[in-house]
Amino acid sequence: MTATLTQTAPRPWAHRLATPGPTLLLLLGFAILVAISASSITLIHRARSDAESVAHTLRVMNAVSQLQVLIRRTESAERGYLITGREGFARFYEQSKAQTGPTLEQIATLITDNPEQQQRLAEARTLIAERLASYEQSMALRTAGDLEGAVADLRADRTEGAMTRLGTLLVEMKAAETELLDERTDASHDSTVWLTVVSLAGLAVVLALGALALTLNRRQIDALKAAQRELEAANQGLEKRVAERTADLKEANDEIQSFAYIVSHDLRSPLVNIMGFTSEIEAMRGDLFERLAQLRAQAGDAPEADAELAADFEEALGFIKTSITRMDRLIHAILALSREGRKEFVPVDVDMGQLFANLRDSMTHQLHEAGGEIAIKRLPVIQSDRLALEQIFTNLLDNAFKYRRDDVPLRVEVSAVDTPGFVTFVIQDNGRGIDPKDRGRVFELFRRSGRQDRPGEGIGLAHVRALVRRMGGLISLDSKLGEGSTFKVTVPRRLPTETGKKDHG
Amino acid sequence: MVEHVTIIMIEDDEGHARLIEKNIRRAGVNNEIVAFRDGTSAVNFLFGADGSGRESSGRALLVLLDLNLPDMTGVEILGRIKQNEHLKRSPVVVLTTTDDKVEIQRCYDLGANVYVTKPVNYENFANAIRQLGLFFSVIQVPETD
Repeated sequence: MTATLTQTAPRPWAHRLATPGPTLLLLLGFAILVAISASSITLIHRARSDAESVAHTLRVMNAVSQLQVLIRRTESAERGYLITGREGFARFYEQSKAQTGPTLEQIATLITDNPEQQQRLAEARTLIAERLASYEQSMALRTAGDLEGAVADLRADRTEGAMTRLGTLLVEMKAAETELLDERTDASHDSTVWLTVVSLAGLAVVLALGALALTLNRRQIDALKAAQRELEAANQGLEKRVAERTADLKEANDEIQSFAYIVSHDLRSPLVNIMGFTSEIEAMRGDLFERLAQLRAQAGDAPEADAELAADFEEALGFIKTSITRMDRLIHAILALSREGRKEFVPVDVDMGQLFANLRDSMTHQLHEAGGEIAIKRLPVIQSDRLALEQIFTNLLDNAFKYRRDDVPLRVEVSAVDTPGFVTFVIQDNGRGIDPKDRGRVFELFRRSGRQDRPGEGIGLAHVRALVRRMGGLISLDSKLGEGSTFKVTVPRRLPTETGKKDHG
Repeated sequence: MVEHVTIIMIEDDEGHARLIEKNIRRAGVNNEIVAFRDGTSAVNFLFGADGSGRESSGRALLVLLDLNLPDMTGVEILGRIKQNEHLKRSPVVVLTTTDDKVEIQRCYDLGANVYVTKPVNYENFANAIRQLGLFFSVIQVPETD
């Protein structure tokens, strides 16, 4: 059992619950996803542009190859014509020549972004023009029938260097494009690799974040569960403590009651002596004064001389006797109160309307003489101790009657307010009322309030409060001096049966 | 009450003892009153040194018993008297402050002959004792065996 009690010690739950929240992790995860998406888009974009570049390069190379083919074709057409003189070759030549122009233009448009290639193209363009002019010159000679001249021209003019230079240029152009192709292919490859790496890294980070969030979440749930368990344990400990305190209180209460009983009992013994011997002195006084009167008569004195002494005696003895009587009443009251505290409650169904009607009936005579009335509203039936309830409400009604105003006919109204588990009885009178400063005091033993012109020891309300408290209820007072008082008695609708309590009184 | 009857008064409060004696006398009872202020000396007197009660045989005794004694309870003495062969017929008057219902029942169960509560009010007290005295004057007390 001590284990539960030690668990109730305060723990810094709040601190444990304040670790980075899942919200932060979620935001971080989203940010990373957005970054991955952005980089993916960029990289895909780049890959596409890389692919376009590659296609472009391929187109350039294709065009250059076509140009090479066309040049070779013009050459072979020219030679065919020179050898055979057939018109077919001349037409073929013209066809091929016609295609070189557009092909050159195509290449030119394709390589506008590359100055080096443009330079090469310009040179090639000149060389091609030269070549074509030379071919046409030879062909013109052949057309004129000068075969010898044409062949000679072919032989003379054929500077193989120009042709070679053109070939080199075109090869260079292709090589440059191949280089570019390689570069672009590499770049494209790099982009793909980057894309993969970034995607994988992002995935890993997101997974890690997810795992972290999960762990934190689990830990938080564990902390919550632990907190809940501790709370439950604390609750149980609390209930246990309340039970213990209640038991302690009950014990203390029992002790006070038995103390009150013993004290009041033992106080009576000396009181009997005081009272007894005071009465003896009183009796002796009679003898004494008789003797004195006889002596004075013998001496011839006036008997009145001792009147003062007799009066002093009378006064002193009177005070002693009234004090003793009062003391006796007080002791009786304590004794009665302690006995009430020991009496076991017997819960039965009590019709409160009937109970109040009976109380009113027992006061009929007094009420009639004083011109007062008691109005009883609808009251419930409760399960409680009849005797205790009678004592409580007899005292309250007696008080209302006792402390009525002389100039106003007494009117008491009894009503009830239902609350879950409890019933509050309201006893409202139009009597003298109680000074606000005395509202707590009137419930104390031997304390009274207002004009002390009515008999009483200040016991009734103390008794009432003790009874109400023992029933597990409470009593409160609302009052205006000179206008009346309202007592509210709240008692359980069902009085729990007491156990383990025996009547010693 | 016959002259030779002795009243045994067991009362720890000297004041009470005096008041009781005074009022018994006022009722015209002149029998010898032997007062004891504690249980032990009273028991010694009643039952003798050996505790058999043989010493009391042949005496005519009336016991006035207070229940709250410093050394033992009056109930214990009452029980012993009523169980003793020699003393059981002696009348025992319990005179005490306690008006506890259970206590009264117990005393009668043990064989008390009369149970009187001491009233605090002196007039009532004096009255009660005087009436007790009157009662004593007519009561028959047997001699112990």
